[in-house]
Amino acid sequence: MSCLIVQSDKTLLLEVDHELADECRRTIAPFAELERAPEHVHTYRVTPLALWNARAAGHDAEQVVDAFITYSRFPVPHSLLVDIAETMDRYGRLRLHSDPTHGLVLHALDTAVLEEVVRAKKIKGMLGERIDEESVAVHPSERGNLKQALLKLGWPAEDYAGYVDGEAHAIELAEEDWELRGYQRDAAENFYSGGSGVVVLPCGAGKTIVGAAAMSMARSTTLILVTNTVAVHQWRTELLHRTNLTEDEIGEYSGTRKDIRPVTIATYQVMAARKKGVHSHLELFEARDWGLIIYDEVHLLPAPIFRMTADLQARRRLGLTATLVREDGREGDVFSLIGPKRYDAPWKQMENQGWIAPADCVEVRVNLTESERLAYATADPEDRYRFCASSASKTEVVRELVRRHEGEQTLIIGTYIDQLDELGESLGAPVIKGDTRVKERERLFEEFRSGELHTLVVSKVANFSIDLPEAGVAIQVSGSFGSRQEEAQRLGRLLRPKTDSRSARFYAVTARDTVDQDFAAHRQRFLAEQGYAYRIADAGDVLAGDEL
Amino acid sequence: MIDDADAGRDTGGRPPTFTAWLRNRTDAQLAALFALRPDLVTPVPADIAALASRATARPAVLRVLDRLDRFGLQVLEGLVALGDERLGGAAGVERGRLAAALGAGTDRLDEAVSGLLAGALVWEDGPRLRPVSILGDILRTPAGLGQPLRAVLAERPADALDRVAGALGLGTGRSAGGGPAESIAAALGDAAGVDKALDLAGPEARPVLDRLMWGPPQGTVQGASDRGGALSAAASPIDRLLSLGLLVPTAADTVVLPREIALHLRGGALFQQVEADPPRLTGAQPSAGTVVRTAAGQAFTAMRSVAELLERWAEEPPGVLRSGGLGARDLRRTARELDTDETTAALFVETARAAGLLAADDEVGGEWLPTPEFDLWREAPGERRWLRLVEAWLRSPRVASLCGTKDSRGRSRPVLGEGLDRRSAPEVRLDVLGVLAGAPEDLAPDEESVAARLAWLRPRRQGPAYAELVSAALNEAALLGLTGRGAPAPHTRALVEELDAEDVPLAERDTTSAGERLAAELPEPLETVLVQGDLTAVAPGPLVPQLARELALAADVESTGGATVYRFTESSIRRALDAGRGADDLIALLERHSSTELPQPLRYLVNDVARRHGRLRIGTASCYLRCDEPTVLDELSGDRRAADLQLFRLAPTVVASRSTRPVLMGRLEELGYHPVAESADGTVQLTGTAARRAAPASAASASRDLDEPTAPNAQLRLAAVRAVRAGDEAATTARRPVDAPDGAPPRSPTNATLTALSEAATQGRRVWIGYLDPEGRASSRIVEPARVEGGFLTAYDATRAAVHRFAVHRITGIADLDAS
Repeated sequence: MSCLIVQSDKTLLLEVDHELADECRRTIAPFAELERAPEHVHTYRVTPLALWNARAAGHDAEQVVDAFITYSRFPVPHSLLVDIAETMDRYGRLRLHSDPTHGLVLHALDTAVLEEVVRAKKIKGMLGERIDEESVAVHPSERGNLKQALLKLGWPAEDYAGYVDGEAHAIELAEEDWELRGYQRDAAENFYSGGSGVVVLPCGAGKTIVGAAAMSMARSTTLILVTNTVAVHQWRTELLHRTNLTEDEIGEYSGTRKDIRPVTIATYQVMAARKKGVHSHLELFEARDWGLIIYDEVHLLPAPIFRMTADLQARRRLGLTATLVREDGREGDVFSLIGPKRYDAPWKQMENQGWIAPADCVEVRVNLTESERLAYATADPEDRYRFCASSASKTEVVRELVRRHEGEQTLIIGTYIDQLDELGESLGAPVIKGDTRVKERERLFEEFRSGELHTLVVSKVANFSIDLPEAGVAIQVSGSFGSRQEEAQRLGRLLRPKTDSRSARFYAVTARDTVDQDFAAHRQRFLAEQGYAYRIADAGDVLAGDEL
Repeated sequence: MIDDADAGRDTGGRPPTFTAWLRNRTDAQLAALFALRPDLVTPVPADIAALASRATARPAVLRVLDRLDRFGLQVLEGLVALGDERLGGAAGVERGRLAAALGAGTDRLDEAVSGLLAGALVWEDGPRLRPVSILGDILRTPAGLGQPLRAVLAERPADALDRVAGALGLGTGRSAGGGPAESIAAALGDAAGVDKALDLAGPEARPVLDRLMWGPPQGTVQGASDRGGALSAAASPIDRLLSLGLLVPTAADTVVLPREIALHLRGGALFQQVEADPPRLTGAQPSAGTVVRTAAGQAFTAMRSVAELLERWAEEPPGVLRSGGLGARDLRRTARELDTDETTAALFVETARAAGLLAADDEVGGEWLPTPEFDLWREAPGERRWLRLVEAWLRSPRVASLCGTKDSRGRSRPVLGEGLDRRSAPEVRLDVLGVLAGAPEDLAPDEESVAARLAWLRPRRQGPAYAELVSAALNEAALLGLTGRGAPAPHTRALVEELDAEDVPLAERDTTSAGERLAAELPEPLETVLVQGDLTAVAPGPLVPQLARELALAADVESTGGATVYRFTESSIRRALDAGRGADDLIALLERHSSTELPQPLRYLVNDVARRHGRLRIGTASCYLRCDEPTVLDELSGDRRAADLQLFRLAPTVVASRSTRPVLMGRLEELGYHPVAESADGTVQLTGTAARRAAPASAASASRDLDEPTAPNAQLRLAAVRAVRAGDEAATTARRPVDAPDGAPPRSPTNATLTALSEAATQGRRVWIGYLDPEGRASSRIVEPARVEGGFLTAYDATRAAVHRFAVHRITGIADLDAS
């Protein structure tokens, strides 16, 4: 009896308590994406992209089939094995080369594939003259578009055309009061030897440091694209701390400032912004001879930046993310334009190794009062969520929870400003929201970090890339309709390892028998799938003083 | 019917015939013949002569020719080519001569010849082997050889023959004994004669002959029949060949190389290459363990998919297309639901029907539904379920992979619809499995080598359609779990071996070795599941049916395969509560079967759903009574006479009833309440939830429409031999006609017949009768008359070994047997 079960929809079920589970996990991880990791049985999914990622990492079909046969508890259907072998075989039949005479060349190991591809309507315009049986010239400007189109045709090309070195710039890691962790080094090295690609690490695992390490390997000017201004500042602080870069060498390119320095950090918003229908900040990509481009939170990369990235295929690209899952399903574009997955480590494993804090999730269900229920039932459909999520009945429970965690660093997270203001007032805590000035925000975050301030109420501005390592308790009062993304980010706020290795608490306060509860069910599923303990408690019991 | 009654059991001086040879075969040999050629005994022929004529009829011979392997065919062609009387000798070929011309090893040759004898394609005339005469017509150019000289010359005008004879320096005209044709044939019939003619034709003519030498023997020559004058006038090599009779025109523009010349040019050899042994199978060599596991895995998948398919269709049956069959959209949906492609889904659908598990109900605008058989099948152990599917597939003429292809009118052929039948499909499948099972233990023969082997095994069947069937059969064998990674699994080898051992279908036999082998590889049903915090339960293997049913009720199936993943949701738990399970029952069930502790969110979910379950209640009523005065309703409810109306009080002023409105109206009228009808709306529709099944009748016919006669079993074959023998005895025993009294009307010997029969009955003698059966078939019977009355003869029929009644008016003749 082995530990792996293969399902007909190409998911793999791994029984984690089995003695072979660890060994098996290591074997299948390269070609299967971990989809769910609840307590007993983890689900991996084998997708074409995952298989091609494995090919890019040097695994062949035989190894994959072997893994199935070795670890599968039941005989694996033949058709599935054939399908896997065929899918994997498609990767690398086509290669992009740099040819001394013809420039960029698409070379095929299989002429039939080349014939098929050359005849494809979408690809015709990207190709130049036919050189011989096996190769065809490619317009250099179409390198990215071609890769994207080939992936859509199911013949992903391997890119051997190499990279420009870019303008050299000496960047060193400054490991004085800290040390690069083993997995961070592995991630950076895997990336660098692969040329381009994506590193998948959970929130709190130090993706910024992986970026810094990659920069110290590339030793060239670097453009870093991040989600928002706060994240710009955080990257800047981190780089100053972790590398020998000085204030003058790091530029900020955002809505307010437009500095271009050897290392420049820009926001997606600015890059995607259009003036009269034209992307006015495209010149940034040309402004310097960048040797490395880092995409932070690559799963959020907006469509215009994909288009720009298609033109940057000659530069090294590093994508950093906590998840390859994109809500818009554009995983294929990440694969073809940024590159294949170069490193990944699941949350639970990092947690077990103590790199991120364990978390404990509790959902507290609040009974709405009779009048609230009536009001909810008669509310307009578009207002219903807002109404139940910000119902006044929640306030009392939140106060009780805050009281229970007195002395701990507590974040209260919500979406609706009225509700947050009310909570802030009732708890006597400051509120950070969209219109809070950046200076003020940073002051409050700083006070919170240092422990002067115990309780902070934040709106969704805090969802991304703000490091609040000491937050040990989070209370979520309303969310954006149960988005998986948001949940990962919010939980990520809590998962920085604590100095005293306490486990983090994550509360969600929901209104019973409303859509709020339905959205909470999505969150519950997401968290449980990530392997976090999840419980549901009644508000009445909490208020009555029951232990949680 | 060949009237061959004169040919006795012993040929004694008379010319030997095929019929006589057949008569002298032993019973065992005849039974073997029937086994090889089942069409000869459907229906059982009246006697040996009838058997002989049926065995040599063109369709019957074609059928058996199609089953010959390449070497058998080569031997047969050799016999036809060399055994032709028109070559000058007696008909037939001696074994030695055949062996020399074939140049093959005697072992293989003997084996092939006995095969041909067993199939009655060839018979023995003394030391010579003679092919049955129809073969000369069927195999027009045996071994690529043209017709003998005598045959082709016979078609030529006399003056042309004279010119040829002249060119060869032979006498012309009638004087030369048998005419010029005969003398030309004799001259070119021996080696020296041909050599001499070849010399005369000159070396330039040789390439022309070489082109035709190995066949095909016909060539195109402009104006062939007018060319070939005197040798001296011949302008080209072809003209010289025509003049010398080395080529003979057969039509205005075609010439043929006569058989004798070609054989001489070939140096006596029949074939360039004699393929006595089948081509070797080649391919990858997967490990035995992999093969077994993969095949068993696929077998399990096939069974699971068929079960899932039918369960889904029971709930949401797809409609039957007007032209019969299943809509393309339904197929696509099914494929998606089964996580597979449409070809595979089509195979499972077709196989389910072939196995009698799926049928169209016979309502107009019908639907495809599982049959009651499905319920039995579902409960059977895994290996039996598999055997049933596989055997149905093997015997079905339907080729699922053809679905979606276009027919001659450009319409797409639907699955389960018309146009997917291929008469030869079962035979091809058996052949493919036979070849696979014959492969060495650790070999996965690739498609090319299987095709090459089959091309040798069934040379006359080859063609694009056959290749397609082979490819489909290989693919389907893999999908059904007969092969693993291309190699036959042990259960498949066992299956091929025991398939025809008994008449009972494999799935109904007490034990089968194939079933045992497969059962050892199939997973054991489990009684525990793993329940997790994300509200899923994972059954790490097939579950015992009881648990599987309960879980499927309380949770949605999220993925299937080796394991089943169930997800609990509000609606799934509500479904279980609706079906009468309580919250506590559910939790107890899960606790009992969970190998780990139940997660808190699941308990919470079950209780939470139960809390809200049943707050609103729905009942069924077909009409209501309203009254503003509750007392009237009190009175009515208390009225004993109204008990049959099934009234129940919903509220003080409302009473509902299950009776229909007209009934209620009528009854209340009778009781003197005088109700008034309200404008009608809002009656509740009753819903039926029972899973639907098609009538068993329509299912049975699904797989039984084979055109090919099925092989009779050994018992039937022996019975057939007995019947033919008895008939033969009846037909061949010397008989004396009974004289009809003078003056009786001609052609109406009924009186004489009646008298003779009555006499025989009284004296207890056996008589021969000729009898026309109700279908008009003439047969001979030997009967022991018991009595004659009412125009019927009751007699013991030795031919059929039973007592029969014969209509006297159908008796065509009568003869004494025992009287000397």
